[in-house]
Amino acid sequence: MSEMNNERFEDLRDAYVLDALPEEERRSFEEYLAAYPERQAEIEELRAVAGLLAFAPPEQEAPPELRRRVMEVVEAEAAPRRDRRESAFVRFLQYMGARGLALGAAALLVVGLLSWNVLLQGQVEDLQGQVQSSQGQVDDLQAQVQDAEAQQTQTIQLSGTWADQGADAEVASINEDRIILVADNLPPVPEGQTCQIWVIKGDVPESSGLFQPGGEETAAPITNPIKKGDTIAVTVEPAGGSEQPTSDPVLSAEL
Amino acid sequence: MADRGRQYLILADEDLISLVDASDAEAFAALYDRHSRAAFSLAYRMMGERQAAEDLAQDAFLKVWRNAGGYRAERGSVRTWILSIVHNRGIDQLRSHASRRRTQDRVEASAPRSQPSEAFAEAWHNSQRDQVREALDTLPPEQLKILELAYFSGYTHVEISALLSLPLGTVKGRMRLGLKKIRDFFESRGAAVPR
Repeated sequence: MSEMNNERFEDLRDAYVLDALPEEERRSFEEYLAAYPERQAEIEELRAVAGLLAFAPPEQEAPPELRRRVMEVVEAEAAPRRDRRESAFVRFLQYMGARGLALGAAALLVVGLLSWNVLLQGQVEDLQGQVQSSQGQVDDLQAQVQDAEAQQTQTIQLSGTWADQGADAEVASINEDRIILVADNLPPVPEGQTCQIWVIKGDVPESSGLFQPGGEETAAPITNPIKKGDTIAVTVEPAGGSEQPTSDPVLSAEL
Repeated sequence: MADRGRQYLILADEDLISLVDASDAEAFAALYDRHSRAAFSLAYRMMGERQAAEDLAQDAFLKVWRNAGGYRAERGSVRTWILSIVHNRGIDQLRSHASRRRTQDRVEASAPRSQPSEAFAEAWHNSQRDQVREALDTLPPEQLKILELAYFSGYTHVEISALLSLPLGTVKGRMRLGLKKIRDFFESRGAAVPR
């Protein structure tokens, strides 16, 4: 294999960001990159271009069974992970505390070390502060979750045949730039079909997202902007969606 | 309607990831609901059959759950990060088995297409997808085919060269031109490449 140099680096960088280099070449490329970190930015930029291919495949709804399987594992791991994290933190503090005491004892013998001990104690406090600060950020986010309902600047209830059957659906506008449809108790749709959201401006329906109703709760972003006077509607369409609605709305609301 | 689960739905992805890193399963569920369709679509395109796609998507999402602290906002969006995990693990799997999928690709590769790609023929409903599709539509079929074989099927440039009976230099050239055209598409519209 040729030695890696600037010319070879440029020759291989496109294949690299596409993950299309054989193992040995990839290693050699990455060693060169590590030696010339200033080239990292161009690789990141090119990687972002290659990463767009991830958005290319036609949309496939993930099966509900997959969500169940994933969440089973996640929920089983959630509690032990929390406990482990807390106990690791406690062990860390115990370790640092013991270290501080040991240094304190040493300071009785060597007076000059006393100031070092004080410094270390200060570092312990700093670390405690950092950990508490991180915890505070998580607490803030959790508080946001608690208060999130209050952040919704506007919600509009949807009506229609599904609402008559017990579905509870609304459109929520968050801080004027994020619009989502959230719903409970939507009926399942037959195999090979999906729900499609439409924003209807005048008489023109614009496809604004697909979702698969399932479970107790459904949420889907509305991908087109909406304004007063528009209508939001949901229809049941063939999997992959339709260019135009092919059935009557099961849910709708005029804004 | 104001239960706790629903309140997660309005948090930004970056906030959800922080909560996931603090072992919040409900935040993870919200993140899963937001990105599972894109992740599964990519997994299905790579693996070519439903069960393998489910296994790949499950594997990727569990990595998201277990390694949420590895997300770096400066390197791109949460969505892009999740899709990159799907992609990387998919490539690993494709390369670890001599799968039937590769044989199918060999057959596909031998039949030149007049259209850019059947993979992109379905209607797209997401604006980012629309833009990407538009960008990909500007690519000549021979460039797109090589990007697809590398990105979705996990072939190395050497393998693609053998598969299509093309000189290695031609394969690398088409990769370069294909990626350049996609980037030029966004730059010509004064837009940054989405991350």
